[in-house]
Amino acid sequence: MIEPEEGVPTILNLSEISEREREEEEKVVDIVREFGAENLIYCMQCGSCAAVCPLARVGFEWYNKKLIKALLLGLKEELLDDPTPWACVACNRCTEVCPRRVSPFEVMFAVRRMMVEEFAIPTLAIEGLRALYEYGHAVYMTGREARKKVGLPEKPPSTDSDEKALKDLKTILRNTKLAELGLIPMND
Amino acid sequence: MSNDEKPKIGVYICHCGENIAGAVDVKAVAEFAKTLPDVVVVRDYLFMCSDPGQELIKQDIKEGLVNRVVVAACTPRTHEPIFRKACEDAGLNKYYFEMANIRDQCSWAHWHEKEKATEKAKVIIASAVAKARLLEPLEDRYIDLKKEVLVIGGGIAGIFASLDLANAGFKVHLVEKSPSIGGNMAKLDKTFPTNDCSACILTPLMVEVANHPNINLLTYSEVESITGSVGNFKVKVRKKQTYVDWNKCTGCGACLDVCPPKARVPDEFNEGMSLRGAIYIPFPQAVPKKAVVDMNACIKCGGRDFSGKEPRKSKSGKPILAPCERVCPTGAADRTPYRDPNGEIVELEVGAIIVATGYKVMDKSYFKEFSPHHPNVITAMQMERLISATGPSEGKLIKPSDIPKLLEAKKKGEKIEVEKPKTITFISCVGSRDNRYHTYCSRVCCMYMLKQAMILKEKYPDLDIYIFFIDVRTPGKEFDEYYMRCRQLGIKIIKGRAGGIQVLPGDKLLVKGYDAEVCRPVEVITDIAVLATAIEPDNTLRDLARTLGINVGAEGFLKERHTKLYPVDTMTEGIFIAGCAQGPKDIPDSVAQAKAAAASAMSLLEPGKMTVEPLISEVDKEKCTGCGVCVPLCPYGAISLVKHEDKLKSEINPALCKGCGVCTAACPSKAITLHGFTYEQVLAQIKTIAKWPEIQT
Amino acid sequence: MIADVVKNESKNEGKLKYGLFLGCNIPFNRPDVEQAMRKIFPALGVEIDDLMGQSCCPTWGTMPSIDIVAWCAVAARNLCLGEEKGIDLMTACNSCYGSLNEARHKMLTNPDILKSVNDILSKIGKKYEGRAKCRHVAWVLYKDVGLERIKESIKYTLDDITIAVQPGCHFLWPSEVYPDKEEDPFNPKVLRELCEVLGAEAPYYSKLVDCCGMGALRSTDPEKSFTLVKEKLECIKEELDADLIVTTCSSCLIQLDDAQERLRKSGKLNFSIPVLHYVQLLALCMGFDPEQVAGISVTPRDEIIDKIINKR
Repeated sequence: MIEPEEGVPTILNLSEISEREREEEEKVVDIVREFGAENLIYCMQCGSCAAVCPLARVGFEWYNKKLIKALLLGLKEELLDDPTPWACVACNRCTEVCPRRVSPFEVMFAVRRMMVEEFAIPTLAIEGLRALYEYGHAVYMTGREARKKVGLPEKPPSTDSDEKALKDLKTILRNTKLAELGLIPMND
Repeated sequence: MSNDEKPKIGVYICHCGENIAGAVDVKAVAEFAKTLPDVVVVRDYLFMCSDPGQELIKQDIKEGLVNRVVVAACTPRTHEPIFRKACEDAGLNKYYFEMANIRDQCSWAHWHEKEKATEKAKVIIASAVAKARLLEPLEDRYIDLKKEVLVIGGGIAGIFASLDLANAGFKVHLVEKSPSIGGNMAKLDKTFPTNDCSACILTPLMVEVANHPNINLLTYSEVESITGSVGNFKVKVRKKQTYVDWNKCTGCGACLDVCPPKARVPDEFNEGMSLRGAIYIPFPQAVPKKAVVDMNACIKCGGRDFSGKEPRKSKSGKPILAPCERVCPTGAADRTPYRDPNGEIVELEVGAIIVATGYKVMDKSYFKEFSPHHPNVITAMQMERLISATGPSEGKLIKPSDIPKLLEAKKKGEKIEVEKPKTITFISCVGSRDNRYHTYCSRVCCMYMLKQAMILKEKYPDLDIYIFFIDVRTPGKEFDEYYMRCRQLGIKIIKGRAGGIQVLPGDKLLVKGYDAEVCRPVEVITDIAVLATAIEPDNTLRDLARTLGINVGAEGFLKERHTKLYPVDTMTEGIFIAGCAQGPKDIPDSVAQAKAAAASAMSLLEPGKMTVEPLISEVDKEKCTGCGVCVPLCPYGAISLVKHEDKLKSEINPALCKGCGVCTAACPSKAITLHGFTYEQVLAQIKTIAKWPEIQT
Repeated sequence: MIADVVKNESKNEGKLKYGLFLGCNIPFNRPDVEQAMRKIFPALGVEIDDLMGQSCCPTWGTMPSIDIVAWCAVAARNLCLGEEKGIDLMTACNSCYGSLNEARHKMLTNPDILKSVNDILSKIGKKYEGRAKCRHVAWVLYKDVGLERIKESIKYTLDDITIAVQPGCHFLWPSEVYPDKEEDPFNPKVLRELCEVLGAEAPYYSKLVDCCGMGALRSTDPEKSFTLVKEKLECIKEELDADLIVTTCSSCLIQLDDAQERLRKSGKLNFSIPVLHYVQLLALCMGFDPEQVAGISVTPRDEIIDKIINKR
């Protein structure tokens, strides 16, 4: 593909995309189906999902409907740098209105999973994973004044105050794909 | 009730819901109608055609209040028979009825000028009353119906219409212009939505037609002329010259291969993708399987030209034979006897006609933006032939540009390998939904593109297939499921009709499109581009319609009497239409329409006779001067000059007269009366209208 | 489908007892919501268990974005804590409600996933049978406690107060995965009725079911996120002129409360509507200490609390 000038959209050469899939011996559609978006192929591009999608509303590039079409065409590289899938609020209103049971939410998340394999993952997500592993809470705060102010014990009855439970959780996480990917340090 | 009884006219004004009352002040019109001469009763009602509405009329007749009826309502085209019947049921001669159309010609037309509409309704009613005062009682006539049917066109619609009629015991004459029946369907590989093999389901029907005792199959024939009318059409059919003795031809095909290269022309059955000889059988499953000689292509080998001459070799004196004659095992191809190039005229008499002449596929050459000169840019019909086992590549998917190479090798008995296509791209709505060509949707293209794509993808899973759609239309039973299956197979659907095809070096094509879903221009490098060109009326359809006296619509297809209620009838009684001659449609719809047309013809002819309105012309022999002006004017050949008291006088055959009134208007001596529209009646109407608004006061 | 797998769901026969699933935002960001629950449920006769050792549900940006089995394994450990005690979980956070129930739905409809999850759980000596599920506090109050009981237990009523309700996305969608379902998820009634039983008006408004813009959207692009919350707040102001916004989701609570004040301070909003989680509102009506059950907010709520308690 000839690189276009800055700001000029690329012409999508579908034959080149198809050729790349052939060389890699894996279709993008099959990858995301494997990652949970099984029903992707039933999409008929009706647009109901985009009509209710908060991301489409506020102007993200690859919102549900458009993302699905891109995947059906075999686009992948073009999507890796895009923040859209990571902005999905997982509201699932798309799933509720989809007439073909595609679950566009699952597609968004399947793409996240595909991007993770390519290490295209936002820093914030990495930090959340690290906190989950270290403390058992993705959102974790050390300052406990608020809890004391409302008359609660400093620590909630969670992994935060249960070492055995935190150890269990770490064992679980070390036996998942998170460990295979090596995204975060996972010491015992 | 006697004729000379003083007219007592009842005027019945219909509101037609809001249709009339919404624009016409019905009460005011009713008050006015009461002032008209001889009007004794005026009533208005919400729906005069309803049971209670008709009852009002019947009651007044039965009670002797009225003896002439005027209904001011909608159109006589649909409602006159209903009100006539009401009169008849109440014991009044039904021709003592007159209808005033104050809806179609008044309230609808002047919806926004209510006052004027009311005034116009008054004029129309006054004029109808003026005529009603002069009405005469008439008696219905009956004509005998010929229980035979002419079916024109031997495609799937014509075949089904013929079989249904023949099975019901009617004699059918099936006229097909090609040497074989089968039509366009015979060219198809498989048929949506179940992918039945077209030949497998069609061939047995073709054979059934050929063997049916009630079907007189006339292939390679065309309708020359038609006279007469419903129940008694006289048809002349020209059987074209085949130049082969069909009584002897066994369809063995020996002659096909020996026809020399110079006499070879593009093969219609393969949509021009291969060549056939001048002597040919259209396709392997042809019915009847007989050879014909295409005189435009024949080079008359050895001077063998059917002129009756017998050229002989100068030395040996042996007769010179053309290659086809030489190999013919039965002598069917014998070129010695004289054969009339005009063929032969067959005369038929039929009670009804079904027109099922089909369609043609639009040629690719119109669409310059898609590089139609390139052999690998093909129409979808060509793709059908390309994937068909009886096609030029025997069903093997190759690039059309490789066909000549392949055929050449086959001739030499060699085997060659040609490059397999990797990508196929379909483009929808080529010539349909297009103001430059046809504004209509061709209805079958979405489905046949999906069908071809599906067949190809299932057979060659590695193939990349793209379909450029404006939008996918699948409104049929099991159609959308079919479409979704294509998507699931990985056929790539691009929303947006492609805008161009450019030829790349090395036989490849670049399709330029825009994907409206990812909002980007897209390009596809393809080996074959398939254009879903429009279905259009055959070039000869307009002429045939003229011959038959039926109408064609703006788009060139045959026009039905009513889009919804009379979809297989025409404005000419006794002539029915079916299949794609009426408009683009798929096989299930064509068959359904064919069966509907057959059933309509049956219900028309089965009683053996039919009622005819007595509204026909009659000659007053005393007044007639025998000038003969009327004779050539009659479009039905109903008038002749006959001896009457030593003088020639006009005489009208009531069986042939259709009551058109041409003779009546033309007669210089006013000797011809058109019953139901007499001079006196028409003049009374005109005078009433002409005097308006004077008589209103 | 679920019924085939789960022969014997956890039942709270006779007594009402739930494992209080806190999640992350409630215990660390909005502990007043936790305190509200700890006050109201015992007072309404509902026993709560601490579910010692619970963790993050896991939330959307973590395991669900990595791998389905990993997501389900973390969720299953949390569910096991209830299942082991024969009780269901109960949460006041829509994200937890969504993540736990979606994970459960996946495990119950796909035996392969459940098997992989239990293979992992076996390393810590646990097994998830599919019995325990996660209930939403709003549903527990509506269905199990009942509107009558709530009405009897309150000290203050909300006369002349108009509430804009915000059930939140994961309270509604996808309805397929949730143990309790609104009859019409596009016109939800549960939270409106819960507010009405306190004496308030809680009318429908056109953006009632629209997303507040919280979650990943806010962390990815705050400006775009604020567009959504601003639209929602303006709709509430224009159509209802509400005195109060009440939600059943801790994420919505933070977004509507925190983002509202940011918008107001940057001059993009010229009004202010206090926001409460429903359990906080109920706790106030039941007469619990406002400092403890509703003491943390960005958008000022003193005035409305004063109005409720002192009828001013």
